[in-house]
Amino acid sequence: MRAALAMKDLAIETKDLTKDYGNGRGIFDLGLSIAEGEVFGFLGPNGAGKTTTIRLLMGLIHATRGSARIFGLDCDHDAVAVKRKVGYCPGELPQFGGWRGSEVVAYVAGLRGDVKDAAITTLAERLDLDLGRKYREYSHGNKQKLALILAFMHQPELVILDEPTTGLDPLVQQEFYGIVRDARTRGATIFISSHVLSEVEHVCDRVGIVREGHLATVSPLEDLVGMRAFRVEIDFADDVPVDRLKRVEGLDQLVVTDHRATGLLRGTFEPLMAAVAGTRVVGFTSREPSLEEIFLTYYR
Amino acid sequence: MLIRIALKQQTVGVIALALVVAIGGVLNTLAFVQIAGTTPAERAAFAQQMTLLGAQLSYMLPVPVRIDTLAGYLEWRWFGTLVVIFGIWAAISASGSGRGDEERGLVEQWLAAGVGRARYLITRVAVFAAVAIIVIGAMQLSILLSADGEPLAGGDLFAMGFNLLATTLCCYGIALVIAQLVTTRRAAGGIAAGLFIALFLINGAGRTADVGAARWLSPFYLFERSRPLTEGGALDPLGIGALLGAGVVLLAIGVVTFARRDLGGTALPGTSRESRGTRSPSRDPLLRLPVLGPLRQQRIWVAAWLVGFVALSASLISITRTIVDSLTSSEVPFLRAYFERAGLSVYDSFVGVIWLSTATLLLSVYAIIQVASWSADDAEGRLATILSAPVSHTRVILERLATLLVAVGLIAAASSVAVYMVAAGQGITLDGGRVALAATLLLTIPFAFGSIGQFVAASRPRMAVVALSAVAVFSYFVQQFVPLFGWPDWVANLSLYTLYGAPMSGDIKWAGVAGLVGIGSVATAASLVALRRRDVGA
Repeated sequence: MRAALAMKDLAIETKDLTKDYGNGRGIFDLGLSIAEGEVFGFLGPNGAGKTTTIRLLMGLIHATRGSARIFGLDCDHDAVAVKRKVGYCPGELPQFGGWRGSEVVAYVAGLRGDVKDAAITTLAERLDLDLGRKYREYSHGNKQKLALILAFMHQPELVILDEPTTGLDPLVQQEFYGIVRDARTRGATIFISSHVLSEVEHVCDRVGIVREGHLATVSPLEDLVGMRAFRVEIDFADDVPVDRLKRVEGLDQLVVTDHRATGLLRGTFEPLMAAVAGTRVVGFTSREPSLEEIFLTYYR
Repeated sequence: MLIRIALKQQTVGVIALALVVAIGGVLNTLAFVQIAGTTPAERAAFAQQMTLLGAQLSYMLPVPVRIDTLAGYLEWRWFGTLVVIFGIWAAISASGSGRGDEERGLVEQWLAAGVGRARYLITRVAVFAAVAIIVIGAMQLSILLSADGEPLAGGDLFAMGFNLLATTLCCYGIALVIAQLVTTRRAAGGIAAGLFIALFLINGAGRTADVGAARWLSPFYLFERSRPLTEGGALDPLGIGALLGAGVVLLAIGVVTFARRDLGGTALPGTSRESRGTRSPSRDPLLRLPVLGPLRQQRIWVAAWLVGFVALSASLISITRTIVDSLTSSEVPFLRAYFERAGLSVYDSFVGVIWLSTATLLLSVYAIIQVASWSADDAEGRLATILSAPVSHTRVILERLATLLVAVGLIAAASSVAVYMVAAGQGITLDGGRVALAATLLLTIPFAFGSIGQFVAASRPRMAVVALSAVAVFSYFVQQFVPLFGWPDWVANLSLYTLYGAPMSGDIKWAGVAGLVGIGSVATAASLVALRRRDVGA
């Protein structure tokens, strides 16, 4: 992978990038290399330093030390030139009060100067957003859609998205993934932050995981399949088949109380299904564990 | 908890206001002792002089009574001004309680936490009343401590404070009701401020002309009906009763309306939620142009200021002939000579004094409001959105200033045309070139205020409005008190208003104008450095 990276131009490169807010808050000694055309997921629990990193890349805040470059340009000193190439969706949505959606996009398009109205209309149609409404009347999801239009409307070479699917319903999320794939197809680089592994699984080539301000790992997506896990809860009508469950491959943190068994399952569900076959299962739930739970498993 | 948070939200503003009114009270008290003399003859001459000055300023201040005493002087000069300041404070605070917190989502949080709507708003009103009592008390104490043996009864001062409190709560009630009828804090504050100016003008006009029962609609008239300092602590039963009655009714209407309407909506039926149903960006070309884009989004606000300021200018000029005639017909020869020397006995000079002194004050207020919105740009994420486009910090700074100056230019130009035409209608011939020049030079005031504000907004956004208001109050006090205390010119020149001078009443003070431009330029350069260095949204 490194060899492959070296052969391509870098869209994003950070060296020892640090923003120290004191008391251990911020991002520390971040070293990232993201190739042009790559879709990179930046994962971490809340407060891990994802948004700080993105704001450093956007030149909105200044690094305590280290450097960040986008397409070879310094994010701080060449901020205007950088932003000609970048689209940005912030994690915290701005407030435009009584402006209509159509006025917000026209105003920001005016600031950019390289936006085609047809591109805006296409995005609004794909995301099903009525631009005639006043911003303050938008739901959170609709504000998020508007932020996505602002990020993609000028067809940037690099799109930086801070938790972009927050507030979007599942159908619109699928459309968003489609927009990301289309951008990638035309050669754009995508940087997506998230605190949910399944969100970045849809579109990313590689994933970096950050925790408590430090980069824990950067891996191709396929390497993270082993990380994929589910928190499962099974309710049995009769006694829990404890011995069979203990032998299930990939099932950890097994806890049995009365007729209920809970645990963290990595890999596929087949071994677990085989283990409970023949028993009377009256309840079965599974959910994706939080990143923090995954960290507790992998990086303890 | 609700009370504590409501108090905390106002801490900086309350401390600043308490300091300003306490210092203002002390300065006015000391000024009287300084300028009125000590012997009966000196006091009598002072009273004659001030009575004529009072006639000159009757469009702004109540007619003076017993001006040879500290009590009469304070009642006229200080409390006559203070009631307007407190009215504006009430408008700002009520629009924040009635709409601003809702815009920020705080009200939703409180209601979700189980706080009743009526309880929420009544608590905010009660906290405002308590804070007003503290501020008024601090001011009264400062006056009593600085009275220096002048006869001033504490009970009378208390009665005046009560009168001021009743007026402030009445104004708060008006602004609270207005906040239920619109959807933004800006609209609520703007409409309330505009209404207060209209009510202030009605009362001012009523001092020299018959405006009929309309004067009773003005809380400033009701305030003025009581003269507790000069009439032995007596409050006018009708005036104080009307203030308290109107205040209670308006506050009740505000609370009931708030309890019944939708959050985020207005109490007026069918005024929201309309959509034009489009997927396309706005085709208005102005939106995509520098300066004109932001200006287009402020068009209603700018138009309201323009119309209000033109009306105010026209109304001030319409009473010029009456006032100047009363000044020049004085039976006291030395006073006639005094006004002639000051250029106030000539119609066109007088027009310059009342129009430009009002304009400099109001345009600095306009600049402060703009600075408040620049600070909000940072806190509410709009600045980050702008800087996410290929836009330099320099462009942000310069575009903001240009937008401010274009808006002020339009307002000043319209106002100058109104002044010229109304004066002509009164038979007063003005030098058109001088009027145009004075209006053009008015731009230096918002330029200086805007640039200083921009510097503070770029460094410490939350402090910007307080700091800039302090500059305005300081400039106003210096301008007012330098001639009274005989302070040197360099002290006078610390006031931005003094630097502007009086370009229609004498020679233009080019050094002062250059000073304002210099201050603006240095502050602009400093704000550019500050914005570049600071983390956006920090």
